[in-house]
Amino acid sequence: MAPYDDWNRVDDDDEDELQDNALFDAKKDVILFCIDCSPSMLQLRPDPEEEAKMTSHLYAALDSAMNLQKRKVVTGPNDSFGILLFNTTRKLNTPRTEGSEIKKNMFLYQPIGPLSAPVIQELIQLLHTTQENPEELRKQFPPTDSRVAMGDVFTSCNWVIRDGAPKTATKRVFLITDEDDPHPSSKQLRISAQTTLEDLAQAGVVVEPFFIQTEDKPFDVTKFYSTVLQTNAFVDDTDLDPSVLAESISVSRIGDLLSQMKFREVTKRALFNIPFELAQGFTIGVKGYGLVTEQKKGEYKYFVDLGDRLEAAIVKTGQLDEDRQVEVDKSNIVFGMAVVGAAPSNDDDAEADSMAATKVVKSGQRPFYTADEMRTFRTLSLEPGLKLLGFKPRDTLRFEDNVKHSQFIYPDETTYAGSKRTFSALLKSMIKKKVIGLARGVLRRNSTPTIYAILPQDEDVNEMEPAGFHIIPLPFADDIRSAPIEEGYIASDSLKDRARAWINKTTIKSGYIPDSYPNPALAFHYDQLEASAFREEFNPDAFEDLTEPNVDLIHAKAGKLLKEWKVELANDHSATLVVPVTGSKRKPDASQNSIDLLEVKTRFEEGSLMKYKVDQLKAFCRSQNIPTSGNKSDLIQRVEDWCKLH
Amino acid sequence: MPAERAGYTVSMFVVDVSKSMGATRTVTLPPGKNGEERFAEMTHLQYALQYVKFKIQDMIYNGRKTDQCGVVTFGTDETDNQINSRHGGYENVTEYISIAAPSATTLRKLDELEPSDVFGDPIDAMIVAVEAQSKHLGNKKTWTRKVILVTDGEGPIELEDWEATAKKLNELNIALTVVGVDFDDEEFDYVQDNKPDFKRVNEEFFRDQFCQHVNDSVIGNLDRVLEQISLPDVKTSRSTLMQNVLRIGDVDTRTEEAMEILIKTCKCTAINRPKSFKKFAIRPKTAREEEAEQQSMDVDDDEKKVVTYAQLRARTEYYVDKLDRKDEDKEEQVKIEEDAEPQSEDLEKVEKEELIRGFKYGTSYVPCPEGQFPKLPTKKGIDLIGFIPEKKFRREYSMGEVQYIWGNPDNPTAQCALSSIVQAMYEKGVLAVGRWVTGDGRDPKMGVMSPALFEKVHCLLWVPMPFADDVRKYTFPSLHELRNKKGEIITEHAYLPTEKQLEAMDDFVDAMDLMEAGDKDEEGNRTEWLDIRESYNPSFHRLKQAMFHCAVVSDLETNPLPPPHPELMRFFNPPKKLVKKAQSTIDNCIKTFNVKHVPKVVKTARKDGHNHANDDDDEMLLLDRKPSTSKPSQSHSQAKITQKSAGDDSETEDDDDEILIDKVESAKRTNPLPTPARSLPSLSQSEGQYDDDSMDIDPQRDPDRLIGRTNPLADFKLNLERGDIVTKVVEDMSAVIQEVVLAPFASRRSTEMIECLTELRKVCLEEDEIDAWNTFLPEFKKECIKSSPGNKEFWSKVQKVGRRISVISDKEAEKNGGISQFSEHSAIEFLE
Repeated sequence: MAPYDDWNRVDDDDEDELQDNALFDAKKDVILFCIDCSPSMLQLRPDPEEEAKMTSHLYAALDSAMNLQKRKVVTGPNDSFGILLFNTTRKLNTPRTEGSEIKKNMFLYQPIGPLSAPVIQELIQLLHTTQENPEELRKQFPPTDSRVAMGDVFTSCNWVIRDGAPKTATKRVFLITDEDDPHPSSKQLRISAQTTLEDLAQAGVVVEPFFIQTEDKPFDVTKFYSTVLQTNAFVDDTDLDPSVLAESISVSRIGDLLSQMKFREVTKRALFNIPFELAQGFTIGVKGYGLVTEQKKGEYKYFVDLGDRLEAAIVKTGQLDEDRQVEVDKSNIVFGMAVVGAAPSNDDDAEADSMAATKVVKSGQRPFYTADEMRTFRTLSLEPGLKLLGFKPRDTLRFEDNVKHSQFIYPDETTYAGSKRTFSALLKSMIKKKVIGLARGVLRRNSTPTIYAILPQDEDVNEMEPAGFHIIPLPFADDIRSAPIEEGYIASDSLKDRARAWINKTTIKSGYIPDSYPNPALAFHYDQLEASAFREEFNPDAFEDLTEPNVDLIHAKAGKLLKEWKVELANDHSATLVVPVTGSKRKPDASQNSIDLLEVKTRFEEGSLMKYKVDQLKAFCRSQNIPTSGNKSDLIQRVEDWCKLH
Repeated sequence: MPAERAGYTVSMFVVDVSKSMGATRTVTLPPGKNGEERFAEMTHLQYALQYVKFKIQDMIYNGRKTDQCGVVTFGTDETDNQINSRHGGYENVTEYISIAAPSATTLRKLDELEPSDVFGDPIDAMIVAVEAQSKHLGNKKTWTRKVILVTDGEGPIELEDWEATAKKLNELNIALTVVGVDFDDEEFDYVQDNKPDFKRVNEEFFRDQFCQHVNDSVIGNLDRVLEQISLPDVKTSRSTLMQNVLRIGDVDTRTEEAMEILIKTCKCTAINRPKSFKKFAIRPKTAREEEAEQQSMDVDDDEKKVVTYAQLRARTEYYVDKLDRKDEDKEEQVKIEEDAEPQSEDLEKVEKEELIRGFKYGTSYVPCPEGQFPKLPTKKGIDLIGFIPEKKFRREYSMGEVQYIWGNPDNPTAQCALSSIVQAMYEKGVLAVGRWVTGDGRDPKMGVMSPALFEKVHCLLWVPMPFADDVRKYTFPSLHELRNKKGEIITEHAYLPTEKQLEAMDDFVDAMDLMEAGDKDEEGNRTEWLDIRESYNPSFHRLKQAMFHCAVVSDLETNPLPPPHPELMRFFNPPKKLVKKAQSTIDNCIKTFNVKHVPKVVKTARKDGHNHANDDDDEMLLLDRKPSTSKPSQSHSQAKITQKSAGDDSETEDDDDEILIDKVESAKRTNPLPTPARSLPSLSQSEGQYDDDSMDIDPQRDPDRLIGRTNPLADFKLNLERGDIVTKVVEDMSAVIQEVVLAPFASRRSTEMIECLTELRKVCLEEDEIDAWNTFLPEFKKECIKSSPGNKEFWSKVQKVGRRISVISDKEAEKNGGISQFSEHSAIEFLE
């Protein structure tokens, strides 16, 4: 068998899902937090969560940054972060030796770089100290008397990023401020802000603003930022019309900062950009995004202990002809069905102890397929794209017709002008008519043709739900399994009514909200990883699993009703029966051969379980999900164990 | 018919190789590439063997050791069977392939079968087959026994003792299949013209007498059978029932009010993946073999020359860079690690046993020898969290395969309990939320359960739901609400559909309704079109077909894979009739929406570089933007992948970068700037060819390239300015130069190509693409000189340019901070 690593390896022709993940892993992200330290940001206010406590905007901003860093350090270990503070007189103790100086009244708290445990710990330490002494931040970062020109801020961002960020990364600045009009009277400064922002954009940096407003200090975007940011590419879509206001400027209360950041935490990346043919000659462009994808722990890596440090091992994989021990270049690989054993060769001297299976053909003959041919088999020579097949009522999309996660499509004007209006009209029409679309799609060059259900989603501004279509891959006939059980006991109406009573009490009206259920296994893993990186002790008892059922609430609300249901169930005529010993098809009547639950218990107490036949014991075990292997004494042992527990 | 137990079968193929099987017939082949009709001349035997081979391929494909077969031939010149050697008789029957799990060799042996000059008796052959089968199986009763007789029924049959044979078949519970060449077949609506009388008699014997006496028997015409087996076939696999428990409430301390329902779960949907192909490569000949071949070549001719393909296996090796790199090297180090293309001299191979497992925490490493931390302690079972209104269920959250949840079939209480919940849920219109743990200590999964009420049994259907971690939240601009700079809502815009457009779309949606677009049912009512229960996975079946094909064919050039079965492509396009009926609404939509394809890579379309943006003209703006082209990448290895999978993910990956470039440009346009260096005089001339509606701008530019053959130098320079995509640009440029030089009439462009080479070299040297140049040039040289026709003339021109166009030497490289394996001396030598 191949070594363990090999079966975990992603084969190049493997599934889309794996590709999705690879795609996200391959890209590097750089985020520079650029946080205002003005007096109003430092001003202490009552904590919205804990009234007795005092906190500041700056604290909240740094706290959000820390939380984001903590998350990203595990999900994207290759990403880089930095924190730049402005409007503070704090200076570097030592002048920077390398890279460029930054402008006055700005302080680079955390230079751009990949995260490491000490960097995060330092920030955590600062936040801790601040919690004990709210004035700490003001002490650490004393505010300036007058505001720094925003132009200087952007220029500094540019320099900081230039020094620290890898070229290919996607670079973003998270600008956090509560000042909506930094330069009320100076047109000059406004223009300089605009031009420096352009420079930033040219360097490939996107500014994502997070504007904070409070009741007494509302944030009016139009005062300064809407014009300044206009030239900035901070809207994530290519097709920003300059006459239209970018609406993704988020203005929120400080408490929402973290959740706002979550929306922007992962750089929005399209997984595919393909034509969507509604009919012949009627094609629009769409981009696809993965809104739900399983987040996995990530594979462990191999390291070498070099005494003084650990070094990551470099992994090289190649395809090997085992007899010759030579690696074969990828472009020379052909594909076929496994050959069993070495083929008889004309050559009498053929290696007797050949390890690799071989196939010998006459010169000029080709017994195997090329990689290109393989691709045409997989795609049936279809080019990437979606093709509409037609519409069906919404309710034809069945619950059970699912095999994989969905993807989300959004129009793309850059490939087909007019895509947006067409897409928008289609969306409206489909919502109005309560229909879904069906489409045949090949989403990428090497993926398999699939039939998709196209589910329209209307825009919901409050819930931040975008307008667009979910495309849900449907199973093929090959993927559908039939029900192996065709007959069973059906509960009576009275029992059903009892069940309904407690179901009524345990209904969550809001539906399934994924945010309520963070993956406990993942969190458990991350927490241990973090503790280990921080050289702290991990305390498993402190771990809280939010996915566990809230049994207290269930019992408080429905305990009595559950009990009544159980009583009714016990009274049901078939409830105490155990199935007949022979025959796979059962009729709901008490036959001679069935075992009575109570009887089993009585016999257990009498110690006369031995009187049962093996078949009877087995039937009982089967009905209680107990293993049926072994001889009679094993079975009796298990039944006894069961009786002790029940 | 009850589902057969997979495997545990011995199939005996009884194949007629009598004289009459040598008659030839014309078989229609699938149409050729251009739809031309194709025919092939083959013997009845060859034709019939297709069926046998197909059946055996299926066994090989499934690869079960317990799926065995043997082949008995009759009408052979020789006689070779066990009964004959013991008791005599049974002439002209040969046990051709003894019973075993089939392999490629089995198929090869079948190919060697030739029609004989004699006749053999099918009944004799069947007796031999049954005898061999019985002997092989002994008294294993659970095995399925099959006999498949393939004959043209033109040979004489000994009609004396056939009842005994039929009886024997029944005793052993053997399933008989008779496949007849050109047999009349009512169901298939086939009657052979001019059927010889003795064949009619034989056919009637098989159909009306023999098969009537065998309990489990079928008889069919070969053509029909072949047609049937070419249909994609859906294997109905039964799912295994797994036991689990559904928990409601606190079953440990509040047992009175809590409930445990014993359940069984199994898969309802499961993605059926094709078997993976094995990798092979031509094994280079050793010197000795080469020599041996040379010698034998003198004697025979090409006939004896062979090529050996070796099956490959993946090998993983681990290396470590033991040099302690200080911070200044950090960047490089990171790069190496990602590229997995390390400079070999610094690396040392490490045995896997010496490696430590661990995780990355940012730049810190956290060792974790077990490969995982202690797992979250969990208890097997499905915990009920609560119920949610059906209306709140978001179908798009369904993350994976669906499972059935049944009450334990041996436990009426469990069934009743589950049934009561299922019914109540159905009545109330709710779904249940649960947390599923498949075994103690396994990672939990969240999911939603839906009530399913079958006629005689109730169950739940489970589908996994995302955790908080699985949901990505992206922001998208509103589609319905646009605001201007002042923050006011705009109602008219090119992005917003007009009333007229909305109407046109409504009509379109109505017209494309599939609910009555299918075939008529028995009562003449139109049914819905596209039932996924009739949809075959095209990829799966195509790959399977391909695998079958190459298992039996030794040369794909002369015997290529036939086209896919039309059934596989049934749902590739909307029903023709429907489209025809909807055509007027479609035309109306096309006209009303006026969607225009925006040509790709419009980079060079600008005439003068002075063009200023016109804010009112969206069309113009859009056309000016370059949609994505290809993935920018720094590393060489990445670039290679990109090129192969161009259009794959590369199209979108770089969007973000591209956006930025767009913005820069549009920003520039608002401030009139002096013409930057990018406006090249050559651009205007190439512009003439461009047509906005065409798919590609430069007809000479391959779709996955950034550089066309029409004006490569200009494309090259322009694309370089975009930065970030240097590797791809260099790669494309190299390819384009080579193509142009090796194309006919290249001499006309010699000067231009020298210019291109010079520029390319310069860029390679400066942009750390030295390797690319040093790899390209020797190859290019080889192509020019060695290949046919090549272009020796051009190469001599390159030589004339001299040293400055040669490979990049280590000295030059060093100056530019790179590495080269060529010495200064070899760089000079290279051009001589």
